[in-house]
Amino acid sequence: MHASPPLRKQAGLALAFLLIAAMAEAIEPADDSYLAELIRRAAAAKLSEERYWHLLLHYRQNLTGGYTSEQDDPGFFLATNGKIDPRAELEATLAQFFSTELVGRSRQPAQCAFIARYQWLKERLSFDERRLRPQPCDRFQAWLGEMNPQSISLIFPSAFMNNPASMFGHTLLRIDQKGQTEQTRILAYTINYAADVPPGEGVLFAVRGIFGSYKGYFSTIPYYLKVKEYRDIENRDIWEYRLTFSEGQIRRMLMHAWELGNASFDYYFFKENCSYHLLSLLEVADPALSLTDHFLLWTVPADTVRLVTRQPGLVGEIAYRPSRSTQIRRKRATLSEEERRWMERIMQDPSLSRSDEFRRLSTERQAFVLDLTSDYLRYRSATEEEKAESYKEKNRSVLVARSELKIQSPDFRVQPFASAPEQGHKTSRAGIGFGWRNDDTYEELAIRAGYHDLLDPEIGYTPDAQIELLSAKFRHYNRKDQTRLEQFTFANVLSLSPMDALFNTPSWKISAGTQTIVHNQCTLCTNWNLNGGIGAAAETTLLRREVYFAFAEADANYSQAYDERHRVGGGGTIGMLGDLADRWRLIVSGSYLRYALGEQSDDFRWFVGQRYTLGQNLAVRLEYNHRDHDDDVVFAVQAFF
Amino acid sequence: MRKVAVLAVALALVCLGATGALAKPASAKLNADSGPGCGLGKMAWQGYKQQKNIGPQILMGITNQWFPPFNQSFGISYETSGCTNDEKLWAEEQATMFAAIDFENLSQDMAQGGGEHLASLATLLGVPAEHQAEFFAMTQERYTSLVQSGDASPVALVKALHEVMAAHPVLAKVSTAR
Repeated sequence: MHASPPLRKQAGLALAFLLIAAMAEAIEPADDSYLAELIRRAAAAKLSEERYWHLLLHYRQNLTGGYTSEQDDPGFFLATNGKIDPRAELEATLAQFFSTELVGRSRQPAQCAFIARYQWLKERLSFDERRLRPQPCDRFQAWLGEMNPQSISLIFPSAFMNNPASMFGHTLLRIDQKGQTEQTRILAYTINYAADVPPGEGVLFAVRGIFGSYKGYFSTIPYYLKVKEYRDIENRDIWEYRLTFSEGQIRRMLMHAWELGNASFDYYFFKENCSYHLLSLLEVADPALSLTDHFLLWTVPADTVRLVTRQPGLVGEIAYRPSRSTQIRRKRATLSEEERRWMERIMQDPSLSRSDEFRRLSTERQAFVLDLTSDYLRYRSATEEEKAESYKEKNRSVLVARSELKIQSPDFRVQPFASAPEQGHKTSRAGIGFGWRNDDTYEELAIRAGYHDLLDPEIGYTPDAQIELLSAKFRHYNRKDQTRLEQFTFANVLSLSPMDALFNTPSWKISAGTQTIVHNQCTLCTNWNLNGGIGAAAETTLLRREVYFAFAEADANYSQAYDERHRVGGGGTIGMLGDLADRWRLIVSGSYLRYALGEQSDDFRWFVGQRYTLGQNLAVRLEYNHRDHDDDVVFAVQAFF
Repeated sequence: MRKVAVLAVALALVCLGATGALAKPASAKLNADSGPGCGLGKMAWQGYKQQKNIGPQILMGITNQWFPPFNQSFGISYETSGCTNDEKLWAEEQATMFAAIDFENLSQDMAQGGGEHLASLATLLGVPAEHQAEFFAMTQERYTSLVQSGDASPVALVKALHEVMAAHPVLAKVSTAR
């Protein structure tokens, strides 16, 4: 069928008209004059120099006065030199807002991919919606709806000594949902920043991690997965700090988190790690907070927790979620002798949980014993992979018997062993002291980068665990009139795990560094030392709490004081630590080492150390070191910063 | 001593985070563009057409340590194709995923007649807070058969829960089976 020529012409005209109208419609958003006007106004208002713009783009000032963004994904910037030019980036961003082109890693229009920038600029420049059309951001809205935010919590899983990546703890944020109860908070989503480490990296991953060759990403893992990981598998206590952000602040933070879906940062274990980038999110929520500036060289998660809790009015309610092993220890302490025996027998033979003899206990006590037994069987199945199946099987029988009791377990309040991390001392330490060594006296200056040793005030730290990194002591000997680097420690790590009927984790220690020794003809000689040992610990509660330990160890030394300049051998250490009073701690230890390689010799050493806590970040110490014919007593005042 | 050697080198590491260095699937490409538009789950389900096997696979991933095989599913990245507007289906998926990942905690809670894991599942299944005590009592009563379903698959567990709820005099009425 053909339309008559005039009609066709009319239709053609109409079509042309429509096309022009449509083109005008399409062109209108790219209104060059309006863009130019916006850029002019932004420049006049110096928006690209504002703190909020710098926060959104993660700009940090250089030594030369310029800016560089910590963000390392080119998809995060809309100007080619956006990483180093805040103003160019702002102008390119304004231009891109006129387009529907899909940008960034997440392939969305710029208004949606960078929604926090859009909302901020829209507010600051009062966009005319007829000349710069707002575009719908359905994906963002769906995501935000799923998050359903009510408030934000800072989550701190405490340190875990037996995984090197977790020795200092971890932090993440939880987006508490509207209508969430104490019972359902595990359903909330989290904002987690972690490095993406390929498998099988082994030792190399440490080296690569330090130099930032991994990518770090944000993700929104449901909290129940994190709880499973930390509480159930790694046995870490978790602390939850509810932050008092307003609805607008939370929305700002989530808009920026959404933008970070376009982003990856080079992950630096020391500084630009999980905790550091979470702080930057908190700053976006409330630009009046100044958090990231506090960390120049490294960011220790516990330090960030202390910093956040120190901000006036920022932290509301604090909740504690005990690890499974903490739960087991606390519950077991309430068992009677008879109940303890039942627990042990049922662990061997779960069918006893249905025996008449066991059923002579009250139903409540039966339930308590079975709950604890089930917790313990789950602990064992998580820590001993090779026997996991048999523990799971036993747990199943125990739970069947438990379900037959038909009562609900009452809440059991678990008290933490490591008290609130926010009350702990800061992690860097400096000290000044004086002492006597043999027939000389000296003054001493000491400094330590991190983190905590067995004599430091224990509040807020994992008990019986020590990590010392990069510590140096300088002394001036008065009679000899000599100033020297007395001691340098690269690392000195020690983990004591008291054993008992239920827990049998070994203790271990490792250290590397230098000391000053008196040996043979040399009165003050530098000795390079490497020491590692494995052992066992036990605890009593005679006075307060005492821990006893014994190690078998290997020891290697290099010094010109030795014949052949070195000696290598092995031996053992025994000792104890305990609190004599609230603030007063004592450690005593003795070692015997015999060297078979290099200079053949042996060593007896004694150490007695005492610490008295003066304040959260202040302590005094008195230490006595004996080694062969070398006696050394030092008194020092130490401050944490 | 190998552990000690690794420790010695890795001493200085600060919160590498959850990812763990030791056991992550080789194909994991965090934050790939195919992430879940609606918050969770798309990738987790994509790979498991045979839903019967989801439970064991996910649980294996977790008990083999550190992290489930769908780490990348939770990257903040987005593609609409993963989203569903079908709220009922979505609620069902969330419940099933939760049942898969948290099955061990859930079975403990069911035997003990309550707990936060079970309360959370009840919430996902649309049981209002004031009637969760009935839900707890019911799951304790039917512990053995529910756990058997859970052993088969999380899908079977959620289905079995729906069935017993439908047969329950109170829960059948109050549940806002979404």
